[in-house]
Amino acid sequence: MQGASTGIVYGGLKYQARCIADVRADPDHTSFLAGTLSLKEENEVHLIRLSPSGNELLCEGLFYHQNEIWDLKSCPYDSRILSTVYTSGETYGASVWKIPEISSQSNSPQLDQLVSLDDHTAKIKSVLWWPLGKHDKLVTIDERNIFVWSIDSSNKIAKVISQESVGMLHNLSGGAWDPHDRNAVAAICDSSLQCWDLRTMKNANAIEHAHIRDVDYNPKKQHILATAEDEFGIRLWDLRMPKIPLKELPGHSHWTWAVRHNPEYDGLILSAGTDSTVNLWQVSVGSEDPAIDSPRDKRSRQIDPLLNSYTDYEDSIYGIAWSSQDPSVFASLSYDGRVVVESVKPYIQRK
Amino acid sequence: MAGVSSPPPMDEKAKRTRDLLASFYTNTSNSNSAAPSSPSAASNLTPRSPSSLDSINSPSFDASSYMSLLVQKSNLEGLLQKHVQMAAEIKNLDTDLQMLVYENYNKFISATDTIKRMKSNILGMETNMEQLLAKITSVQSKSDSVNTSLFEKREHIEKLHRSRNLLRKVQFIYDLPSRLNKCIKAEAYADAVRFFTGAKPIFEAYGDSSFQECKRASEEAINTVIQNLQEKLYSDSEPIEARAEAVVLLKQLNFPVDNLKTSLLEKLEDCLLKLEDESKDVSVGEISKTFRAYLIIFPDSEQRLIELAQGLFSRRYDAVRDQLKKRMLSVDLLELLGIIWEDVTTVDQVLPEAALPAYSLESTCSSIRQHISIAFSHLQHEISDAVAGSQSKSNEGRDELDLHIVLENSKKAAMQGSLDLLVELRQFFDEKLELLPKLRELITDWVQEGFQEFFQNLEKHFILLSGSSTNNCHLGESNHSGVLTQSPDKLPTGLVLVLSQLAVFIEQSVIPKITEEIAASFSGGGVRVYEYGPAFIPGEICRLFRSAGEKLLHLYINMKTRKISVVSKKRFTTPNWIKHKEPREVHMFVDILLQELEGVKIEVKQILPCGVIKRHRNSDSVGSGSTNSSRSHPNAMREDKLTRSNTQRARSQFLESHLAKLFEQKMEIFTKVEYTQESVISTVIKLCLKSLQEFVRLQTLNRSGYQQIQLDMEFLKAPLKQLVDDDDAAIDFLLKEVNNAAHERCLDPILLEAPILDKLISAKLVKNKDLSASPL
Repeated sequence: MQGASTGIVYGGLKYQARCIADVRADPDHTSFLAGTLSLKEENEVHLIRLSPSGNELLCEGLFYHQNEIWDLKSCPYDSRILSTVYTSGETYGASVWKIPEISSQSNSPQLDQLVSLDDHTAKIKSVLWWPLGKHDKLVTIDERNIFVWSIDSSNKIAKVISQESVGMLHNLSGGAWDPHDRNAVAAICDSSLQCWDLRTMKNANAIEHAHIRDVDYNPKKQHILATAEDEFGIRLWDLRMPKIPLKELPGHSHWTWAVRHNPEYDGLILSAGTDSTVNLWQVSVGSEDPAIDSPRDKRSRQIDPLLNSYTDYEDSIYGIAWSSQDPSVFASLSYDGRVVVESVKPYIQRK
Repeated sequence: MAGVSSPPPMDEKAKRTRDLLASFYTNTSNSNSAAPSSPSAASNLTPRSPSSLDSINSPSFDASSYMSLLVQKSNLEGLLQKHVQMAAEIKNLDTDLQMLVYENYNKFISATDTIKRMKSNILGMETNMEQLLAKITSVQSKSDSVNTSLFEKREHIEKLHRSRNLLRKVQFIYDLPSRLNKCIKAEAYADAVRFFTGAKPIFEAYGDSSFQECKRASEEAINTVIQNLQEKLYSDSEPIEARAEAVVLLKQLNFPVDNLKTSLLEKLEDCLLKLEDESKDVSVGEISKTFRAYLIIFPDSEQRLIELAQGLFSRRYDAVRDQLKKRMLSVDLLELLGIIWEDVTTVDQVLPEAALPAYSLESTCSSIRQHISIAFSHLQHEISDAVAGSQSKSNEGRDELDLHIVLENSKKAAMQGSLDLLVELRQFFDEKLELLPKLRELITDWVQEGFQEFFQNLEKHFILLSGSSTNNCHLGESNHSGVLTQSPDKLPTGLVLVLSQLAVFIEQSVIPKITEEIAASFSGGGVRVYEYGPAFIPGEICRLFRSAGEKLLHLYINMKTRKISVVSKKRFTTPNWIKHKEPREVHMFVDILLQELEGVKIEVKQILPCGVIKRHRNSDSVGSGSTNSSRSHPNAMREDKLTRSNTQRARSQFLESHLAKLFEQKMEIFTKVEYTQESVISTVIKLCLKSLQEFVRLQTLNRSGYQQIQLDMEFLKAPLKQLVDDDDAAIDFLLKEVNNAAHERCLDPILLEAPILDKLISAKLVKNKDLSASPL
């Protein structure tokens, strides 16, 4: 059977969970942060580290988090800072936290709240850090608005610089910050993907008629991004040509929930779905137009873009993250709280 | 060697011996002969090389050194021997010398005798010579005198002869007109022309003066000759040879024959053009006769005639090709081609240089090829019309489209159409046309190739028609068919299913049948080298259609679930679940859901076959390995979890439910879809229920919200099970999963009490019954 368990399993999360994030600012270890989603119990944030031998996942820290976590991001320039989006009943909020110094006497310390991002009037969907390094701004997206914050973590101050509403007719549900352009943010709207220019706070560009669940910029190539959609599975776009997708991948048997580009290997894409699988894809989005090629080439090029399907999961998978420290490793988090770290090395070498 | 002496006394044998020896010692003798030119070198050499000492004949022979060497080297006996030998040699030489002197003396004496005899013979000759000279002189003088006396008479005779000749010529000239007329009467034009051409130089020289009258008359005569000849040439009734002769004569008369030729050929061309207009009037046999005549009459007109013939036939083949653009039957085409081929052979007998058969073969090939490709594109049109045409019809008239009929029609179109096509194309082989056997293999290839392309295009067409892939549209390859360009996304979902089933039908029935037929009558071929291997590859086509069928089936399911998903999304995102009111009735959304599913069932029932009911689907799908969420070792996994759990804190409620789930039999949700009603329906339902579960997981519910969902799911249970005959367990499982999700997301999960649940459900059922009864 395909995907016989090759991954390293971390069973430390005691509740259901949706969010996992790579700790990009930790240069020495392959670390991930995972947050749980429990309505009634006290939630936890786990700092998980891949042991140096690479065959075990260790819990480096366990921190209590009052509310259930719907979004969790690690600060790209400080490994001890993270942001969460949480709800509790009808209330919602987003905060930036600092992981306290790990002391031996208290095994479950609280996170230090640096800043609470609480100017939101609608349900917060996600917090975005500029992905490639130090930047003093944060973007938060709620159902109706996009906020840009100026953040000073040392003084624990966050100020709203600008804010723009998308209107009552639209529901924002998430987004991604362009790693190539600090002023561009892609926001997922009801039936389109809107690209916002943060300087003017205007919607600059849009991919229309797409019911998108997740979006991810290609970290190597500007203007290229991948979307996870209801109708078409995974599609790759060039933002300069928002009418026609560059590529289509079949996606998953049920919803395709998340899609992530590998930070290092171009064309390697990871997707997670509610059919309890994680798929690894290999697509090349070159400058050449695939339509020009002769039919014969086309026949030979029709290799399956699906490199592997990891199926050893019990429940829907909502969280995936590549490790930026070792780009051949990714972590996946299924709803039942199981973190599985897999290496894609065998598939990279096969190229 | 030393004994060999001077050559003269030697007999022949001795001489030969010496020559042989000399040739043997060439090198040494060379060095010896070279030696005297440089005496120093010779003196250097002599003491060292005894051979040179021995050569007594060489000019550099040094007697004293030879002597001293001999004395030094030899003993007494040797010297004595040498002495005896030498003495013998000297004696020999003496006798030889004596012999020579004697012989020479003899010769000298006989020579003296001969000279004496000659002297006495010459003395009487001189007087005889003098007599001879005198006689010759007298003969010469006499002959001169005879010559002078006869000279005058001879001159006179010659003059008379010349004037007689002249007179005869003049007479001929004067007689010429009458003679010519006589010839004209006798139609002996050849003689007339010969006479006239003979007299022509004279006319040219003296025509203006003395023979003016005569010249005019004969020219008149010869003009009549020319006219007559021309008439003869133009008249088709004259025998060809006579006409050819006339041309030759005209040419001799310097008449501009080329003009004649062009005018005649133009006439012929007109005639040929007429032939096309009213094809039956002039038979090609006559034309070929004319060709032959002209060929003989104007031997240099061949090139032009070839052009004419080629033009004729290329026009005829063009006409055939024009006709081909409309759909025509193979028989008709064959008949046409047959007629042309006959004509070609007739003309070819006359004009072999025109290479008409080759040209005709080529044209026939291209016509047949065109015919085949047109036939295939027609077939494709027919099939797509069967599918899409019905759509437009239904748009005009009824809304409800009878998918079953559409499917049957298109199946018939595909099967019958391709079989008919094969039967029709096979006529190419039945026909006894001389041309076709040569083309047999080519035609075989074309037919195979045609099928290959046809099926490939058909598959592309299907995919395009279904509008599933936006990429394909950009390729723009399949746009040659007019039907295709019509907005493909308008295709109703039912037709996608029809297409899918049609693809399966083609894969499973049409292609094997076609393969069989092709093997029976179009086997062989392969004359041309194909880059892609053999022309018709059923395996490839089957694979193509199998994947197309699956793709279309998945597309259908996808379209259906998407529709339902939109409904569900609206249902779950609009209300505020945290402030949900107590459930009063089953939510409306359930009706919509069921309605959609019912729609799927109606469509599916019309098109897909009933599947074999499998009660033990779970075990099957585990074994098939096509599942997505099967568990290989549940027990091992559980132990793993349990051991871990011991190290952790006490398990929460979540883990307990999780464990409970582990013990339950795992349900297969994402099984492989089959081409059966049950499979498609259950797949759609499963996907929908899974979506519901996911939607619920995104919400936070209060107790009433939870109860509402519980109620809805409870209500769904019965109708869903009714829809899915064979997979109750899966439905139960999935509905429970939705409830579980709601339970997890509920702040205060307390179930609705069973009596209330029953009451609400039965109320809903009654209401539904009323609704369905009242509008009718």
